[in-house]
Amino acid sequence: MTGTEAGSYLDSLIRVQAQPPAAHSSPAWLKQLRARALERVGALTVPTTRDEDWRFTDLSPLTRLSWHPVQGAPQLASADLERLSLPEAAARLVFVDGRYAAQHSFNHSGLTVANLPAGMAEHGASVEAHLGRHARFEQDAFTAVNTAFLHDGALIVVARDAVLEAPVQVLCISTQKETASYPRCLVIAQPGSRLTIIEEFAALHQGACFTNAVTEMALADNARVNHVRVQRDSEAAFHIGNCAVSLAHASRYHAVGIAFGARLSRYNLNVLLAEEGAECAIDGLALIGGRQLADSHTLIDHAKPHGLSRQLHKCIVDGSAHSVFNGKIMVRPGAQRTDSSQSSRNLLLSGKARVDTKPQLEIFADDVKCAHGATVGQLDAEEVFYLRSRGLSDAAARMLLTYAFGAEVIGRIGVASLRRRLERAVQAQTSRAA
Amino acid sequence: MSSILQNLVNQPYQHGFITEIESDVAPAGLSEDTIRLISRKKNEPEWLLEFRLKAYRQWLTMEEPGWPNVKYPKINFQAISYYSAPKPKNKLASMDEVDPELLRTFEKLGVPMNERAKLAGVAVDVIFDSVSVATTYKAKLAQVGIIFCSISEAVREHPELVRQYLGSVVPVGDNFYAALNSAVFTDGSFCFIPKGVKCPMDLSTYFRINTENSGQFERTLIVAEEGASVSYLEGCTAPKFDTNQLHAAVVELIALDNADIKYSTVQNWYAGDENGLGGIYNFVTKRGLCKGVNSRISWTQVETGSAITWKYPSCVLRGDNSVGEFYSVALTNHHQQADTGTKMVHIGRNTRSTIVSKGISAGHSSNSYRGLVRMTPAAAGARNYSRCDSMLIGDQCSANTFPYIQASNPAAMVEHEASTSKIGEDQLFYFAQRGIGAEEAVSMIINGFCKDVFQQLPMEFAVEATKLLGLKLEGSVG
Repeated sequence: MTGTEAGSYLDSLIRVQAQPPAAHSSPAWLKQLRARALERVGALTVPTTRDEDWRFTDLSPLTRLSWHPVQGAPQLASADLERLSLPEAAARLVFVDGRYAAQHSFNHSGLTVANLPAGMAEHGASVEAHLGRHARFEQDAFTAVNTAFLHDGALIVVARDAVLEAPVQVLCISTQKETASYPRCLVIAQPGSRLTIIEEFAALHQGACFTNAVTEMALADNARVNHVRVQRDSEAAFHIGNCAVSLAHASRYHAVGIAFGARLSRYNLNVLLAEEGAECAIDGLALIGGRQLADSHTLIDHAKPHGLSRQLHKCIVDGSAHSVFNGKIMVRPGAQRTDSSQSSRNLLLSGKARVDTKPQLEIFADDVKCAHGATVGQLDAEEVFYLRSRGLSDAAARMLLTYAFGAEVIGRIGVASLRRRLERAVQAQTSRAA
Repeated sequence: MSSILQNLVNQPYQHGFITEIESDVAPAGLSEDTIRLISRKKNEPEWLLEFRLKAYRQWLTMEEPGWPNVKYPKINFQAISYYSAPKPKNKLASMDEVDPELLRTFEKLGVPMNERAKLAGVAVDVIFDSVSVATTYKAKLAQVGIIFCSISEAVREHPELVRQYLGSVVPVGDNFYAALNSAVFTDGSFCFIPKGVKCPMDLSTYFRINTENSGQFERTLIVAEEGASVSYLEGCTAPKFDTNQLHAAVVELIALDNADIKYSTVQNWYAGDENGLGGIYNFVTKRGLCKGVNSRISWTQVETGSAITWKYPSCVLRGDNSVGEFYSVALTNHHQQADTGTKMVHIGRNTRSTIVSKGISAGHSSNSYRGLVRMTPAAAGARNYSRCDSMLIGDQCSANTFPYIQASNPAAMVEHEASTSKIGEDQLFYFAQRGIGAEEAVSMIINGFCKDVFQQLPMEFAVEATKLLGLKLEGSVG
């Protein structure tokens, strides 16, 4: 217990959360991991706008709220599940308010796609080697809280040289208002394997809730993972996500992150190019309006030579919404022949909307090619005029151009049904705005 | 490549010598008494003492900023002597009466002020350790109504002007070092261009830090009234000392309707030796206010010296259609650290700003660009274009870019681009094919890299800057 108000907020999160039901059956290392995380929770505080990393994202509205324990068994109506399911999926894991819902989950993939406690029986050693090792909780209060509660979670282990073309879906759904959930996901891609994973966060209510998610991915040599993350929390929700990815020799990671929902969302994506020849491509889209705030912080850490990274982050900001982007590219000493480029594009649709963007380069090697660019602006008047000269109304022209701006990122998702669903959502939102 | 690229930096500092002149030095330490002493020594009016004390009281409540990307041992502000002036002698009637020792110093620097002033048609207001000792061309400027003098003289002769503008762009409590400067500044330049006057010559000041352990706190204030225009040059060299010296200057520019101010700097203060020992700490606040419509403020800087540079010449674009520009070359070598950039705050409608920044790092140095472009909700039709390029020479140095973009107007456009590169072997090979040695080739490539900025400098400065980069990098490329 620290003396400060913010510190005690983390403690209040801990107190509300019920102890994992089967905590006694956890292996000793996991108990230790939780205990160490709990210890850090005691030492850390909720960041404030005085912290450089949280300068534009004020968490004080979050710290004024308190959460209730989750009630009853995890349950979903079949219509709701139907709406969120993907026909292409080879496996699905459903978590309702942070708890595993076995009756809604299935696995036809032939890989290990399971709830953590079950999957650990088979893959104990590799889970121990990766869980909590990539998403560091020493300095991050929210990762520490998540780790302190670690119990249910998605575990996906792709065996050596296994290639799964169909996607694996991980659905995290909030059904109860005023609760906090702590989704957790661990992906272990063994050498030469291939996987597409769709992580989706959604709410079935319009009330306030708090989602604090942590995802870890370890890609071994030559592994390839496509990662799509869709955040459609309720408009009163607080969403804080942390994702840490570690890339081994010649592995490839492609991420598409979409943020539509939440009153306040923050996503930290840290990609470590830990060995030579690793590649990553990171795309992001935030489409927000009203009084929403969407904050995305990414770190692409080139630790070894011959790495390649590409990043495109787009924000469409309407109403009095506020988008924040901080994209840091780090080239460590010795990471020669790194090739990195980054682009932040922002569309401001209203006079009250606000964009804060900071692409950032930190380079400690001389033989590198790094570039970044950022733009903020409104729709091009000439493009609107062109469409109007072809008979479209002003509103329709603007809607179409706004849609096209966002569609560039959505188009990079490899799963057709999800792409269509997101395109419809963008259309709905842009036509509402227009 | 690299024997050539490795030899390009080890030129000893050419301007390292100490002039022995009797100095009137205040005891080290900072308190209200020190400030009263400075104010009394300079015969200042009551309001200025109040200004200083207000700044000092704010400074006491402030913390030294920790966010710049630089590392240095903590400064003991009580160990600095805040006042050092050459002993007052009789008023000087002509250049012949200036201390010959002092004149010799300027000659060593290559600035024989009488000759150079005539040759270049430049009026030089020489600052030698905080007190202005000689001013040339004053009469000629006075004919058209321009006031160009030291700030202490301005406080005596034109108190109403100084009082109106001093601290209006950089408030006393703006930041830690600006507050310190406001409390203890000893001298600097004042320039006032009245309505409709185009200044007939480039104005320049040479700063020189002398007297070991005396931090220098310069204050510069330039006001251009409606329709006036001026080009101001600042050039710096410093003698070689082994203890670090703090330099915390404040520069304020004010441009009224249709006025135009161009401020160019070449900074070559002592950067410390190749092991990072010694050198100047250059923590400067420079800000221009485009107060009137259609006004323009342009900053051009070539930063090659100082152990640590912490400097963000900024423009507040308040007048409609006003223009802010920032052109910078920052070169760091050995253990130098630079965290420099600009701020463009767009408030007026249709305001425009351009940022071109070129960073070159060599040796074990660290070079950061940190910039802010803010579009306020009122800045309809505003535009910004930024470009920051970095070049790394050697694998022990670092280049960083931290551009903050804050936009809250949908009708404003912001564009930012940055890139990092090195001198390619294929480029050197191309030069070699044509019989140009590596050292010369590197110098040409670097000059090409910095061309966009050098073009903005007045001619004599451009020549000096080109030479300076060559000297600075000598031995590091190979």
